[in-house]
Amino acid sequence: MSLRGAVAALGVVIGWGFIGVGLFTWVRRPDNSLGSLMVATGFAWFVGGLTGSNVAALFSVGALLSSVYVVTTVHTLLAAPDGKLTPGDRRIVIWAYLLVTVGVLPLYLFFDPSSQCENCPDNVFMIEDSETAVDIAGTAINLIGIVLLVLVVRSLVRRWRRATRAERRLYTPMYAAGVALMIALIGQLALQSAGSEGNALDVAFVIALVPFALVPYLFLGSFLRARLLEGGAVTRLMRRLNETPRAGRLRDALAEALEDSSLELVYWLPERQRYVDFAGRDYELPTDDPSRAIHAVTREGECVAAIIYDAIQEAEPHVQAIGAAASLALMNERLEAELRAKLDELRSSRERMLQIGIEERRRLERDLHDGAQQRLVSMALNIRLARAKLNEDPLAAEQLLASAGEELDSALEELRELARGIHPAVLTDRGLGTAIQTLANRAPVPVELGELPDERLPAAVELAAYFVVAEALTNVAKYAEASHATVQVERQNGRVVVEVSDDGVGGADPGRGTGLRGLADRLAVIEGRLEVDSEQGHGTTVTARIPCG
Amino acid sequence: MTRTVLIVDDHPSFRASARMLLESEGFHVIGEAEDGASALRAVEELGPDVVLLDVQLPDIDGLEVAARLSENGSAPAIVLTSSRDLADLGLVRERSPVRGFIPKAELSGAALEALL
Repeated sequence: MSLRGAVAALGVVIGWGFIGVGLFTWVRRPDNSLGSLMVATGFAWFVGGLTGSNVAALFSVGALLSSVYVVTTVHTLLAAPDGKLTPGDRRIVIWAYLLVTVGVLPLYLFFDPSSQCENCPDNVFMIEDSETAVDIAGTAINLIGIVLLVLVVRSLVRRWRRATRAERRLYTPMYAAGVALMIALIGQLALQSAGSEGNALDVAFVIALVPFALVPYLFLGSFLRARLLEGGAVTRLMRRLNETPRAGRLRDALAEALEDSSLELVYWLPERQRYVDFAGRDYELPTDDPSRAIHAVTREGECVAAIIYDAIQEAEPHVQAIGAAASLALMNERLEAELRAKLDELRSSRERMLQIGIEERRRLERDLHDGAQQRLVSMALNIRLARAKLNEDPLAAEQLLASAGEELDSALEELRELARGIHPAVLTDRGLGTAIQTLANRAPVPVELGELPDERLPAAVELAAYFVVAEALTNVAKYAEASHATVQVERQNGRVVVEVSDDGVGGADPGRGTGLRGLADRLAVIEGRLEVDSEQGHGTTVTARIPCG
Repeated sequence: MTRTVLIVDDHPSFRASARMLLESEGFHVIGEAEDGASALRAVEELGPDVVLLDVQLPDIDGLEVAARLSENGSAPAIVLTSSRDLADLGLVRERSPVRGFIPKAELSGAALEALL
């Protein structure tokens, strides 16, 4: 049997190999184009086999399309493993398809098969037998073919170099077969261009057949192994989870299972509408980073966590399986992360509160020093002076004592004011409603009172609400140029809502000035919130929402 | 000879009381200043014998004012005063170029005279 005869017999096996593996893959992964590509390669291979036919039309079509299978193979290799082409690879593949379909046409317009084999049927596309034209067209096609094949090799090598360890383990045999096939084809084309004929070309053809024939089986092997590994990774993960219930180890277990040391695991806190890491720190998902892929793990329709992993992994189904397997453990760790986030917030609000405390003490000391203390000092001096003048100038002594008395009244009033600033007695004794009424009575601007609570509220809530009203009314008097203000305190859905508004000039900025900011901090400690609505020229409304069970 | 005094303090009520007190005991209060900068100017213009200087002033610290005044050879006698205790102020008397310290409430002509 001739070499070509043996090849023809083998050819059937090769063609069905591609079609069989292609169909298997197509069924298992319908969304992945590799299955259909391999089936196409099998058929394209058989089309090439038509050159063995004695029917002129079949022979001619076979000869014209005899290289299409090479391009479908290249397409398969470049699209592996996820079935998608990069833009650069797509250009190579498109040019290659054009070359083996349209590009070879000129060749077959002038090619007479009888020049190469004795019993070959006629070429139905031939318009004229011209060996020169065949030489020129053939050489050009071969050279373009070589360039495209070199580009394919470069792309395959580059892809292998960029692959992760896990990917290399899976796909190295396939890439190696691909590169070997390309090199063999380049050799074949180079021999043809150099004008070699007969045995040398046949040998080159057979050499290229080996890696070509292996492509579907190597792919099948990688595919099955990936499935196995996926199962293995999940099993490994489950074992790790059972072994190491230690807190914070879940990320390590996932990183190990996916063989991705860059893996990050963050937890979704629905209450806060944000992600935090295990330590409870806020985390922003990388939205613009093409090198990072994100998989959201859900459980019972609710987002639990997000796995951020190396995008080169191209392992979404893999990550999905792992995420699903770990979702229960993720729920547990999320609780811990939530706790940590709460602790963190508590810690920082405690620090802020401490700071407020220190600042308040400092202000208190300054107020005492500049106010009552100064008045008492000058009172002491005046009394001493009055005593010295008592005998020689009783009138002056009386005046001095009178002014000392005025100083004493002022000092007492200032001390009362200060004591109110520390903790208003009326609030403790009579509750928030009455305390706000006294604030309104003292305010220099007329204050209209809306709804006020009759019942007693928790002391911390009453104090916070009182200071909101006091600070807001002070601001109204100082800055708002208002003709009147309104104050109301309502209970709404487990919250106390304090609202102070005026008809003044507006334009208050809570970011500036210590008064409103200090108020916001005070409120934050009891998980309250402050809103300031103060458009220029439209008055100011200060609203505080304080949780109140 | 009547001693001339400059009173430096940011509280007007204290300045007024101190003026009356010192003048009733034979001092001549030739000026008042409410902060460090105007105190330095007043000393230059009026050349008082004594400066009664509050330690805490709104602009320059009283001790700094004292140090700047003593840079000139013919500096007036400086007596510090404050409504705080000496201990609260953390003053090191030996090092500062001042004659002494009188708590505000204990100010009198006699107390001032004793330090000069």
